[in-house]
Amino acid sequence: MLVRYIATRLVIGIAQLIGLVIAVFFLIRLLPADPVSRLVGLNPSAEAYAQAERQLGLDRPILTQLLHYLGLAPEEGPGLLQGSLGISWVTGSPIVEEIGRHLPVTIELITLSFLIAFVLAVPIGMLGALKPGGKADRGVFIYSLFAGSQPEFWWGLLFVYLFFFTLGVAPPPLGSLSPLTSPPPEITGMITVDALLAGRPDTFVEALHHLMLPVATLVFILSGPIIKMVRQNMVRALRSDFVLYAHCAGLPRWQIARYALRAAMAPSITLIGILYGFMLGGAVLVESVFSLSGIGQYSVRAVLSFDYPAIQGVVLIITGISLLIYLALDLIHAVIDPRVAY
Amino acid sequence: MSAADLMGPTDEATTLPRRKKRDWLFGIGLTIVAVVVILAAIGPWIAPYDPTSVTPRIVEPPPSLGEIPGLLWGSITGTLEHPPHWMGTDASGFDIFSRVISAPRIDLSIALAANGLSLLVGVLLGLLAGYYRNVATGLLMRVSDVLQSFPVFISAMILVALAGRSTVNIIIALALLYTPIYIRLTRAEVMSQKVRGYVEAARAMGNPELTVALRHVLPNSLAPALIQASVTIGFAILLTAGLSFVGAGVRPPTPEWGLMISTGANQIILGEWWPSVFPGIAISLTVFGFAVLGNALERRYDGG
Repeated sequence: MLVRYIATRLVIGIAQLIGLVIAVFFLIRLLPADPVSRLVGLNPSAEAYAQAERQLGLDRPILTQLLHYLGLAPEEGPGLLQGSLGISWVTGSPIVEEIGRHLPVTIELITLSFLIAFVLAVPIGMLGALKPGGKADRGVFIYSLFAGSQPEFWWGLLFVYLFFFTLGVAPPPLGSLSPLTSPPPEITGMITVDALLAGRPDTFVEALHHLMLPVATLVFILSGPIIKMVRQNMVRALRSDFVLYAHCAGLPRWQIARYALRAAMAPSITLIGILYGFMLGGAVLVESVFSLSGIGQYSVRAVLSFDYPAIQGVVLIITGISLLIYLALDLIHAVIDPRVAY
Repeated sequence: MSAADLMGPTDEATTLPRRKKRDWLFGIGLTIVAVVVILAAIGPWIAPYDPTSVTPRIVEPPPSLGEIPGLLWGSITGTLEHPPHWMGTDASGFDIFSRVISAPRIDLSIALAANGLSLLVGVLLGLLAGYYRNVATGLLMRVSDVLQSFPVFISAMILVALAGRSTVNIIIALALLYTPIYIRLTRAEVMSQKVRGYVEAARAMGNPELTVALRHVLPNSLAPALIQASVTIGFAILLTAGLSFVGAGVRPPTPEWGLMISTGANQIILGEWWPSVFPGIAISLTVFGFAVLGNALERRYDGG
């Protein structure tokens, strides 16, 4: 039953991804941008223009280009089916490799931010839920509404001004390590993890130091929706019948709070998963403020230089990961909550 | 500790203070939104400087608190040689105050137009999808699924950068990305409304199907989409500013908050905070105002 459910979901997900790939492929070619002249520069000769067009494969019919991209024309080189996302028009290296280098930076940044935001949000949300309508609840509510509607890039800049320029406790917003430090050998692509694997605790600390402000910015922004949701689910759980029953059975208060928390977690995890998928592409502004070379920065570069294969690759990878997260969420949900059936 | 204690006060006890709080917050939200709307209407006219032409004074800091009364008096009596730069000037010599109060015209127009467009299209398609459930509307929902699974910011960036960085293209891009939300919300509401008694009654009166859908079901199914719109307007302002920040939004020297923050970003490392901080405060308050308003509407609607 479970295997069949997962298989169905995967098939639907893959169909959705194929639809997405084709949609993105045609969409970016429909838009009135001219990537060829972006690449050959201003006032190229007609021959130079034609040669660049041929090099990018843009002189062929659009359907041939699509078949090539999908990997259905193997004589022309590898495509999606062969696990290739194409070659970057700007750098000339394979997109898979480039994304593989940038994605871990974003994953490191947002995973750390989510962990901290969650650990902070649960007690704050519970505080609000214990006395709905009380003073604490009111404060928690206004805070979550405020934090959830803020321009994160501006807060990042404020933090830079405050903690780097004024107080001098943070490094300048110029990447994940100081330019003088040689990065640890690349294993996972996440600098903190790689530093530990290479046995370099000083590099690990330095990487954390550089992550301090970007993570603080994201924690602030993320804490808004997470607190709101924990509070809401907790209020609902505390009002449910099983809590009343637990009181009648004379269980101690802390134990009841634990039961309620568990019941409140299941729906909370769903929202956190959705937010996580959203942040894969949504961390771009924070990455940009702190010059972290994550997937967001990569996509900005790809978009502004009209690097079509890179654009397609980024959208495909981010959406693919999001779909996998949704699938995982449904499975986790079924494990936590026995009422869910497939 | 009794059961009632842990479960919190009863509903009756919570509604009273809750109501008061909502009205107090609601007042702040409404004030902020009203100020932004007024500035969108008259901002560029009351600005002391042309927001798109430079002054010879570059990176002039804002006046300190002690200087403000003197400057105020000077600008009333007209004894100053030039109007004061209340928020300083940026690296090109633009007057920041003039630009901050002129920006709502751009930011709010984009947000309102994008939301209006997606609301119109989304509600109509949602009505169709909820009222007539067949192969065509099934396909429509799958298409909107795919649209909704796009990463929002990156897609907006792609659409605007490739179509050309103009206000109209930003509006179209945002409208495209927001439409599926309205389709989904309206469709769900239509599906719950169309089985109710009054719809049956309208049919029994001999109204044609289309009239029933447009005149009876549609007006009763608008609330969720309208509430969503008041929240989405705020987020559209954030998104517009974010696009400008990464260089995929409006072109300089358009007075737009995100663009202003972006041009000031390089100076903040040097301690010149004012070019970025003032427009940021404006966005921060504006989006918060819309969020408060949306939240209040949502509660009022849920509370019946």
